[in-house]
Amino acid sequence: MNYAMALDYQSCIDCKACEVACKEENGVQLGADKQRIWVTRYESSVFGQPFSAFHPSQCNHCVDAPCVSVCPTNASHFTPEGLVMVTQDQCILCKGCMEACPYDARFVDDKAVAVDKCTFCYDTRISQGETTTACQATCPTKVRLLGDLDDEKSELVQLLKKRKFFVLKEREGTVPKLFYIYPEKDEIFARNSIGEHTTIHTWESYKPILDKAVAKRREA
Amino acid sequence: MKTREIWGVEINAVSLKALLFNPTMIMAYLLLAVGLYGIWEVFGERYFLLTANAFDAGLHPGSSEVAEAMKDAVFGAGGEVKREQPWTLYIVNYMYMIYSGSAIIFFVALSEIFNVKLIQKTAAGFITFGLAMVLGGLFTIAVDLNILHMHWMFLTPNVTAGMWLMLPLYLIYIPFVLFEIYLLITNKHDWAKKVAYGILLLSIVIDLIEYYIQAKLFNMNTARHLWTTYPMLTLYFIVSAFVAAIAIMILYSYFTYQHKEGIDFQKLISFLRKSSLYVIALLAIYEATAYLFIDKQWGAIILFGQFKLYFYAYLFLAVGLPFALEFNEHANKFWIIIGAISVILGTYLGRYVFVYGGNAFPMNDRFGMGFEKYGEYEQAKEFIFFSPHASEIMVVIGSLGVVLAAYKLLDTLFSVSKIREH
Repeated sequence: MNYAMALDYQSCIDCKACEVACKEENGVQLGADKQRIWVTRYESSVFGQPFSAFHPSQCNHCVDAPCVSVCPTNASHFTPEGLVMVTQDQCILCKGCMEACPYDARFVDDKAVAVDKCTFCYDTRISQGETTTACQATCPTKVRLLGDLDDEKSELVQLLKKRKFFVLKEREGTVPKLFYIYPEKDEIFARNSIGEHTTIHTWESYKPILDKAVAKRREA
Repeated sequence: MKTREIWGVEINAVSLKALLFNPTMIMAYLLLAVGLYGIWEVFGERYFLLTANAFDAGLHPGSSEVAEAMKDAVFGAGGEVKREQPWTLYIVNYMYMIYSGSAIIFFVALSEIFNVKLIQKTAAGFITFGLAMVLGGLFTIAVDLNILHMHWMFLTPNVTAGMWLMLPLYLIYIPFVLFEIYLLITNKHDWAKKVAYGILLLSIVIDLIEYYIQAKLFNMNTARHLWTTYPMLTLYFIVSAFVAAIAIMILYSYFTYQHKEGIDFQKLISFLRKSSLYVIALLAIYEATAYLFIDKQWGAIILFGQFKLYFYAYLFLAVGLPFALEFNEHANKFWIIIGAISVILGTYLGRYVFVYGGNAFPMNDRFGMGFEKYGEYEQAKEFIFFSPHASEIMVVIGSLGVVLAAYKLLDTLFSVSKIREH
């Protein structure tokens, strides 16, 4: 299994229901800067017309996760399902993983005195056999879709086969698994909400990158 | 002074009072007391802070403590480690102490091999002080880590991780340096010279790996682009460490060798002054070119924004002023000492600008649309500016106490600062 998530970010209305659901489901420390998932707002002006986009995000559960390789105690590790997890009891708070993560997806949980991050609700849902995360289940506009990349018939793979997508900071070589669905029917929105150096992928173009990284990790 | 000899080492037979209550040790205790108070504060916030999550309200209905913790989570300062500023004064001090301390050891080993008589005579004292600085740095990093979980370093080690790799290296390096001190104080100079090759090799390996690993980690942090765009970060760490190390050696010489017989203090200071000029020039070249490569938004806040005072103070203190004071071959020792103090303060400020400047943007540019804020709950800020917390400053002051105490204990017992003829 290799869990990943697609995000139809154009549908995000910044209601913050996902952030609340995440805190409720996973017992994340309270506080505005202690978030496993978050939505950032981008605002600009296009020919005098106001433009705004919302960028929902969380841990990318990278296949080649630098946070895992820098962890001196193996507190950060991969699960067989391809998720990046933190065993908080083993975390010595060296913050190397926070330094290594290009997505700034980790923070210090003051209650556990350890680093915390998104788990795709592994403990509370996935390991219990459920197939959705709390953020996905609560989203009123169906932004998120969790699925198994190894299952060609999964809804996720079917979506990625059908739609173009992009990943964040691809040049970092982390092979992230948050797939942002490209807003094909709204070129203006796409042009103004995605960085100009971002590569737009199809399933055919990204699958070999993914397979190569997965094979490398499984060998290691 | 009466001595006892064990394995060829002359140990001064001093009273406990002379060992533990001399003026230097009392100064060290005062600094350590400040540090311990800082640790008390840090640990209070780290291990005993009222924090709450969504489960707590359900698990402890009606609890006033939970209510207080929830209120603090929403309206309070937000715990010990801020998401916007995870790297603090600890890492500034850690980098400064360990890099400068190991650079002193490196410089002395190099002088031993190249038969620099002035340094050979004073090698034991310099190396001991360098080692004491390494210990001061390790003390700071130990406070920064969650010590309650440290046993996992050995129970579930990831031996390929940079931080774990440093552990065995230091476990070899520190005893090796102690062995070199042993050879120096037992006047086994031929052996000391042979071991110096080992020290030098180990120093090169340790320093390069340490500087490289730290540089690599900073370099990976694309969320903080100042660090990523610094060109040849390893080189910067090496050069700035050597600038600080030689200044510390000048100051150490002033306090230790000024009135000692058997050494020409003026010549020693003059040699260190010349060495200092070379490395200061290298640092100046680096700083003059580095900002051509640094991310322009980040460069702007360092050069023209809220960090500009710190940055220009760093350049003035670490490069401009000492170069002007020490350039004259016949410079008075007073001005050389002032130059050294200026370098020590300036290079520390340089580390501060580097670490705190790197934290300056709230979040990274992941979508390529500019730097992101964490959310609309946050106040809109172009960049963030933190000052170190008082408890961190106290821990740093405590680390100076560790350096002084470690050095003075060894010096009182083994006279490491004695001039030794080769």
